Amino acid sequence: MMRTRSTFMTLAAALLLTFSLSACSGGGSNGAETNNGVAGNNAAPAETSEGANQTEPAKTEGGEEDVTLRLMWWGSQTRHDLTNEVVKLYESNNPHVKIETEFTSFDGYWEKLAAMVAGNNMPDVLQMNFGEYLTQYASKDVLLDMKPLTENGTIDVGKANEGIMASGVANGKLLGIPLGMNALTVIYDEKMLQDAGVASPDLNWTWDDWKKAAEAVHAKSGNYGTQGLEITNIFEYYVRQHGQTMYSADGKGLGFDDKLLTDYLAMTLEQQEKKTYPSMDVIMQHEAIEDQLIVHGKAPFDFRWSNQVVALTKAANRMLKLAPLPGPDSSKGMYLKPSLFFSISKQSKHQEEAAKFINYFINDAEANKIMKGERGVPITSDIREALAADLDETNKMIFDYIDMIGANSSPIDSVYPAGASEISKAMEEINEQVMYKQLKPEEAAAEFRKRAEEIIARGAE
Amino acid sequence: MPLLAAEAKGKRRRKKGMENDNLTGYLFILPFLIGFFALTVFPVAMSLYLSFTNYDMLGTPRWIGLDNYERMLMDDTKFIKSIKVTLFYVFTAVPFRLVFALAIALLLARLVVLKGVYRTLLYLPSVIGGSVAVSVMWRQLFGNEGALNSILAKLGLPTVSWLGDPSYAIWTLILLYGWQFGSSMLIFLAGLKNIPASYYEAAEVDGAGPWRRFINITIPLLTPIILFNVVMQTIQGFMAFTPSYIIFEDGRPLNSTLLYVLYMFQRAFTFFDMGYASAMAWLLLLVIGLFTALIFKSSSYWVHYESEGER
Repeated sequence: MMRTRSTFMTLAAALLLTFSLSACSGGGSNGAETNNGVAGNNAAPAETSEGANQTEPAKTEGGEEDVTLRLMWWGSQTRHDLTNEVVKLYESNNPHVKIETEFTSFDGYWEKLAAMVAGNNMPDVLQMNFGEYLTQYASKDVLLDMKPLTENGTIDVGKANEGIMASGVANGKLLGIPLGMNALTVIYDEKMLQDAGVASPDLNWTWDDWKKAAEAVHAKSGNYGTQGLEITNIFEYYVRQHGQTMYSADGKGLGFDDKLLTDYLAMTLEQQEKKTYPSMDVIMQHEAIEDQLIVHGKAPFDFRWSNQVVALTKAANRMLKLAPLPGPDSSKGMYLKPSLFFSISKQSKHQEEAAKFINYFINDAEANKIMKGERGVPITSDIREALAADLDETNKMIFDYIDMIGANSSPIDSVYPAGASEISKAMEEINEQVMYKQLKPEEAAAEFRKRAEEIIARGAE
Repeated sequence: MPLLAAEAKGKRRRKKGMENDNLTGYLFILPFLIGFFALTVFPVAMSLYLSFTNYDMLGTPRWIGLDNYERMLMDDTKFIKSIKVTLFYVFTAVPFRLVFALAIALLLARLVVLKGVYRTLLYLPSVIGGSVAVSVMWRQLFGNEGALNSILAKLGLPTVSWLGDPSYAIWTLILLYGWQFGSSMLIFLAGLKNIPASYYEAAEVDGAGPWRRFINITIPLLTPIILFNVVMQTIQGFMAFTPSYIIFEDGRPLNSTLLYVLYMFQRAFTFFDMGYASAMAWLLLLVIGLFTALIFKSSSYWVHYESEGER
């Protein structure tokens, strides 16, 4: 009996100690709230100040009503840490606003958000994805049209790239404010090209130049002339550069002629047969970004999104360079892509305050210095300049590239039918079938059309 | 003391307080019941309902009757492909694992020293089998520049793209399944230990060689164990998911490793086609049930129970 009691006392003491310690540390980090009216009461800092905020709905010095915003995003641990830091800063600058954050990985996010929509419990500000997701949420009509908020200046997009702003529009409403920009790019190894006697690509290079360079490098060194192209992204560019679109304007069908897909597949197949383009099994075994052919010096070209260049150059451990995708008419095909959006829930009771937070997020230099472009290259020229001084060589190259593409590109196509992700998968599969020589390019193009139209029809039911 | 008294009291009251006792009993199993209904019965019933709907997780499920099942069996070529891949996988990988497990069990049964060590070592692959580390190792072993190919090259033999060639890729999965033979092996081992040594001695006296003894004593007496293992492994084989998901991700090359459950996962969590995926899950249940029933039905022809009277 004695023994049990003393154990109990020890535990209780330990528990008390833990509480008092955490209260102290809480008080330290929540300095903002302590300043907010309850300063001087240092007996029980953190908890009391929060309690005070809740029990006193009264107005603070600024005359603004206390509000609690809910903010949700997905991402990596780095993003969580940086975003939380920005949120803290915002709270200390705006004492009447308290922001509750929720964050998950990408996989869990959409299930969680779907449940919140069903339960009328959406966060005020939420991260949204371009493409199928935005289309889907637009069709459910649960996101706020932010056009009035940008027109009255609550969200200042005056300095933002116009093409990128168009990407947040669905059904004629501005449903997402882009938080950063990406663009497709060709990463090249200048030295490998020089060794083969090939000029580096510039704004005016073409698919023919690409083929010739690849063949020259292959002939010279026996290496591959290029990494494989990820068909879904690169073919969309190919379609655009020929003045067509992936999907028709009403989203009820494909927007390109079969001939384009046939040509594209024939082009890559021909390169594969010449051994300048890796076969499918090689591509499959070099999937990780640290394991790309260009990283190992086994190919001079690699096609991917500009935000992946950081990881790629880090793995390659040498400087690589960037060029737009091959022309002709690359400026018709190239586009800036929003890496992510912030959207506001239609049910939000604090739409104005939510908008102010988004405005802060995209326009405040200090906040962006914390974020360091983690959500893509910032959309306004002012912020890009503000960050320029602190950038390392690779990031500077990416920023310059995005500036260059901004001036040499066309707006992104934002029509995505329901089922777009399944259509992308179908495209990867027919590409595989061509590369394994199970289908001829023209058969594959017809097969793709058939499957895509089935998927679109099913989604429209 | 007080405890005993209470018990005696309870005994006296037993007849009167029957309902009371039942209530106590239910209270005790309540935590399980809540879990069982909330986490098992409800989701199972829900998935049956969803299998008759079109549901993308965001909207409300829309009733479409048998459309999902019809589309599956009539229109979906990828579904048919996944069935073919899965049947091939089950009918190759399961016998492979069982034969392997039995062979190792026979060796282990003979072993005198270091039994525990070997048993543990041989069981290890089953423990770590589904892990990402093993998938990485498998990619290293069978990759184009992997261990197997460098051995082949050293021997002057032609190298093969094991993971990239649609006709070989599934075999790397079958091999992985066979390699994780641990649990079947332990069950076989227990079965072998149960065969009385006197049978073997008698057979030996009669002049039966090792092969005869194996065929006429070991195998017949082991058939109940074999039945158990076949049923369990067949069910597991149909439900295989992790290895193909972590080694090949989405059924590549050319959907040659697109196991049924992997395709179901793709429909549910890549395309958010929850209704269809639920229908697939129910069809899988039916198929597994059918195969299990078939195996049990056939058992009367080949399974030998020593105590015939009990059957």
